[in-house]
Amino acid sequence: MTLSTRKGTVNIVEVNRHDNNIHAGQGTLKGLDIVFRKFRKALFGKANTERDDTEGQFNVQYPEERLVLAEAYRNMPILLYDDATGQELCTSCFQCERVCPPQVIHITQAKHPETGKPVPAAAEFVLEYDTCMSCGYCAEVCPFDAIKMDHDFELSTADHPALDVHYTHLLRPVSYYEAIAPTMWAEVRDAALKKLQNNIKRRPGNIGVDHGQKIAGKSSAAAPKAATPAAGAAGRKQYTGPIAKVGTSMSEDKLARLMAIREANTGKRGGPPESGAHAIEADVATNAAGQVAPSDQATSGSAASKATGPVAAPGKNMSEDKLARLMAIREANKAKQGE
Amino acid sequence: MNYVVLTIFFLLSALTLGSGIMVVTVKNIIHAALWLISTFVGVAALYMLMEAEFLAIVQVLVYAGAVSILVLFAIMLTRQITGTGTRQLHSRWWVAMLTAAALFGGVIVPTVWQQGSSWDKTASDAQAILVQQATEANGGTRPEIIPVAGTEELGAALMGEYLLPFEVVSLLLTAALIGAILIAFEERTRRRRVLTLAEELALRKRGIVEPHDEEGAVVPVDAEQAV
Amino acid sequence: MTYWPVIAVDAWIGLVLVSIIKVTLILVGGSLGMMFLTWYERRAIAYMQDRRGPNRVGPQGLLQPVSEAIKTMTKEDITPLDADRVVHFLAPVVMLGATVLAFAVIPWGNLFPSSLRVGVLFIFAVTGLHTVGMLMAGWGSNNKFALLGGMRGVAQMVSYEIPLLMALLPIILLSGSLSLTDIVTRQGDWYGFGWYVFSPVGLTAFITFFIAALAEGERTPFDIPEADSEIVAGYLTEYGGMKFAVFYLSNYMTNLALCFIMASLFLGGGNGPGVTALGTVLGGLLSLVYFFIKALALFFLMVLIRGTVPRLRVDQLMGFAWKFLLPIVLVNVFSTAIWVAITRWGPQAQIFTDWFGEPASDNYLRYGVAIVVTLIINLLAVYAVMRINRRQPSDLTEEEIALGLAG
Repeated sequence: MTLSTRKGTVNIVEVNRHDNNIHAGQGTLKGLDIVFRKFRKALFGKANTERDDTEGQFNVQYPEERLVLAEAYRNMPILLYDDATGQELCTSCFQCERVCPPQVIHITQAKHPETGKPVPAAAEFVLEYDTCMSCGYCAEVCPFDAIKMDHDFELSTADHPALDVHYTHLLRPVSYYEAIAPTMWAEVRDAALKKLQNNIKRRPGNIGVDHGQKIAGKSSAAAPKAATPAAGAAGRKQYTGPIAKVGTSMSEDKLARLMAIREANTGKRGGPPESGAHAIEADVATNAAGQVAPSDQATSGSAASKATGPVAAPGKNMSEDKLARLMAIREANKAKQGE
Repeated sequence: MNYVVLTIFFLLSALTLGSGIMVVTVKNIIHAALWLISTFVGVAALYMLMEAEFLAIVQVLVYAGAVSILVLFAIMLTRQITGTGTRQLHSRWWVAMLTAAALFGGVIVPTVWQQGSSWDKTASDAQAILVQQATEANGGTRPEIIPVAGTEELGAALMGEYLLPFEVVSLLLTAALIGAILIAFEERTRRRRVLTLAEELALRKRGIVEPHDEEGAVVPVDAEQAV
Repeated sequence: MTYWPVIAVDAWIGLVLVSIIKVTLILVGGSLGMMFLTWYERRAIAYMQDRRGPNRVGPQGLLQPVSEAIKTMTKEDITPLDADRVVHFLAPVVMLGATVLAFAVIPWGNLFPSSLRVGVLFIFAVTGLHTVGMLMAGWGSNNKFALLGGMRGVAQMVSYEIPLLMALLPIILLSGSLSLTDIVTRQGDWYGFGWYVFSPVGLTAFITFFIAALAEGERTPFDIPEADSEIVAGYLTEYGGMKFAVFYLSNYMTNLALCFIMASLFLGGGNGPGVTALGTVLGGLLSLVYFFIKALALFFLMVLIRGTVPRLRVDQLMGFAWKFLLPIVLVNVFSTAIWVAITRWGPQAQIFTDWFGEPASDNYLRYGVAIVVTLIINLLAVYAVMRINRRQPSDLTEEEIALGLAG
C-alpha cells in the first residue's frame, strides 16, 4: 500500500515480523550455518568453476596458476609480420598515430633507397608503453591488421626508458597472434594477407623485412607461449584442470625480450649508438646505400641533428630527410656560386 | 623487618602521593583526572602489598575503572579543559591549607595517641587474632596463608554484621539511579518523537492518526493500492 | 613488624627470577598467540568469503604477521600537531598494560602463572582499564572522530561490563571461589567432563558471557568504537606505525585472553577425558592441547560471527545490553542460587535432605531436579524478555501517539 507522509509518498511492503513465533536468534543461526558451509566448501578445495556459482574458491594463485585470457583481451599493442616471408604488415599509413588518444605512437616511413619516395613500410615504429592506455583504438583503426593488442601483461620493470619500445621489439609473427586470438585472426586473415601481398610488390629490396629478420629467434621463442592459450582455447569458459599451468618458457621468453630491450636502451643512452640502435642504423645504412656518405657528413657536421640525439632512430631518419633537402639547397647554392 | 617490602611500600607511597599532588596542581583538568587514576592505582597497589587482594581489585574495578571514567566524562562536558590563564590559588590559600592540616591532624593524632606506644604489640595482636580465626575456619590446623581481609570474611560481614548499613547504602544508590533516570526521562519526553514508518502505518490502520501532507490537508489511507 | 610476609633474601631472589621467567614466557606466549590469532582470523574469514587469505609469507602465510610487524615498526611515528602529546603517547601503553596484566592470572591449560585468590575479579578489574586507554586515545588525538570513537567505546565497555560480570557470578556461585585455579580444577569431575557449560545455568551464563565478551573485545557485531564506515577508525584514527601496532596487539591479546577465560570458566580449561589418568607431565601436555582446542574453537566462533553478522547501531547496542542481556543474566544468578541450594544444601535444610537425601557429588536425583527447575526458570526468563522486548507497533499507547503527533 502507499502512505503519504510529510516528505512524500512511500510504497510500503508489509512483512509480518510480529507473528506469534519465537524469534530467539534463529535467523542468526541460519546465517552462521550458511557462512560455515561456505567456509567448509572453500577450505576443502571446492573451486568455483561456473560463472553463476556462488560457492567455492574464487582465488587464482596468480604466478603459478593463470586464468585463460579471453581472446579479445587487450593489453599493449604489438606489430605483426608474416612467418614465411618475414614481411611486416605495417605500411606506415599513420592511421594509428593519428587516432592514438595519448599520442604515444611514433612512426617513420621507409623511403625508397634510390628515389627517396615513400614506401609502404615503416622504417621505425616507437610505442611508449608507459603512457599507452590500452584502449585498442590503433588495432581497431589499422586497415592492414598490422597492429594488434597483445595478451602479455607482465611488463613491470624498473627500467623506465625501456618502455619506449622500438619496432624490433614490437614485432611478433602472425602465428603468435593466431595462437592467442584464433577466431579474431581468422576473420581478417585473408584480407590482411592479400593486402600484404599488394604491399610487398611496392617494397624494394630489403625494406619491410629487415626488422623481422633480426628477431628471427622470436618466432621460435614465442611458440611455446602460443601453445598454451591454444590448448585452453577449446574450453575457454572453464579453467583447464583447474587452471592452466604456464611453464617456465614464458618467463624465459620475457627475460630474453627484456634483456634485448635493456641492451638496446643502454646503447641508446650511452650517447653514440653502440649496440641496438647501432644495428638499426647499420640496417638503414645498407638499405640506403646511396645516402651513406652525406648522412655521415650531416651527423658529424650538423649540431641541430645532434641535439635530437636521445630519440636516436626517428631523429636520425628525420635528419636524413632534412639532410636530403639540405644537400639539395647546397647544391643549388653551389650552382649559383658557380654561375 | 623486610627492606624489600619497605622499599616497594615507599615507592608506591611516593607514586600515590606524587600523583595526588599532581591532581591538585596540574592546570589541565583532563590531566588531573588521569593523575587521579594513577593515585587510585597506587592505592590499589598498597592494598595489594597488604595482601588485601579483594579490596585492591575492587579499588581498581570501581575507582580506576568506573568512577574515574565518570569523572572524565563529566570533565569533557566542561568548557575550560586546558585551564590556561586560570589561577589555581585563591588569595587566602593558607586558610584552606590550615583547614586541611587540622582535619588531617584530627584523624591522625588520636590514632597515634592511642596506639603509638605499642605499634608492634597491636600488630602482633591483630596477627594472632587472624591466625586464630583462620585456624578455626580451617578445621583446627593453621593454614599456610593467613588472609588479612579475605573475600569470605568481607562477604560474611556485609551480609551479617553490617547488613543494615549495606542495605541503606544500596537503597540510597537505587534512589539516586531512579532520580537520574527521571531527570533524563523528563528531558526526553519534551523532545518531539518522530514515528517510524511502521508505527505510522499501524496507527493509521487503527484510525487514530490522520497525517497531513505538506499543505496540511488530511490524506486518507490508500488501501486499494495494496502491494 | 611481622605484619608483612617475611621472606629470606635468597629465597626472594629466587622468587624474582622465577617471576621474571614467568613474565617473559607470558609476554612471548601472548605476543606469539596474538600473531597466530591475526593469521588465524584472516585465513578463516578468507575461506568464509571464498578467498584464500595470506598464504605467501612463510608456510601457509604463517609469517605474515612478522612481516607486518616489521612494516609497522619501520613506519614513521606521527603525532598530530595539536594533540596532547603525552596522553597521545600513553594511551597505547595503558591499553597494552591493561591487557598484559590480565595474563598474570589467566591459566594456560592446567598451568597457572599465579594463583591469585580473586583472580577472576582481577582480570576484569584490569581489563576495565581499557576504557581509560580508549578515552585517552580519543581525547589525546585532538580529532573529532577519535573522540567519538573513544566515547562510543567507553559507553559500550561500561555497559557490557555489567552483563559480563553478572554472567560471571553463577560460575563463582557454582565453584564457591574467585580463584581461577579452583574454578578450573573443580571442573575436572565426572571423568573430566564436569564443565560448567553442561548445566542450564552455566549454559545461559556462557552464552551471555560470550555475547558480552564480543562487545568487550570489540569484535564485529559490536565494533562500534572503530566503525570504519562511520567514524574513520574511531579512537585509532590518529595512530600509525608502532603505536597503532600496539593498539592492535592489545586488541588481539584481549581477544586471546577472553577466549582463554571462557575456555577456563565454562569449558573446563584443560580438563578433559584422560588428563588426570595420564599423570602430571603427559596429562599436563594433554590439558594444554585440550585447552588450545577449546580456545581456538571459541575464537573460530567469534570469526564466524564476524563473517556473518553486520554491525549494530549504537542504540541497538545499548538496548541489547540493558533490555535483553541484563534481565536474563539477573534471572540466571537467581536460578544459580536455586541450583546451589538444591545440589549442595546439607542437614541444615531439613526439607532438601528429606526429599532428596544427603548432598553428594553422585546424588543424581538432586542434580536432575536442579536441572529441571533451573531450565524452566531460565527458559521462562528468556521467553519473557523476548516477549517484552518485542513490542508491536500497534501497542503504542495514547500518550506516545500524542507525542508522535505533537511535532
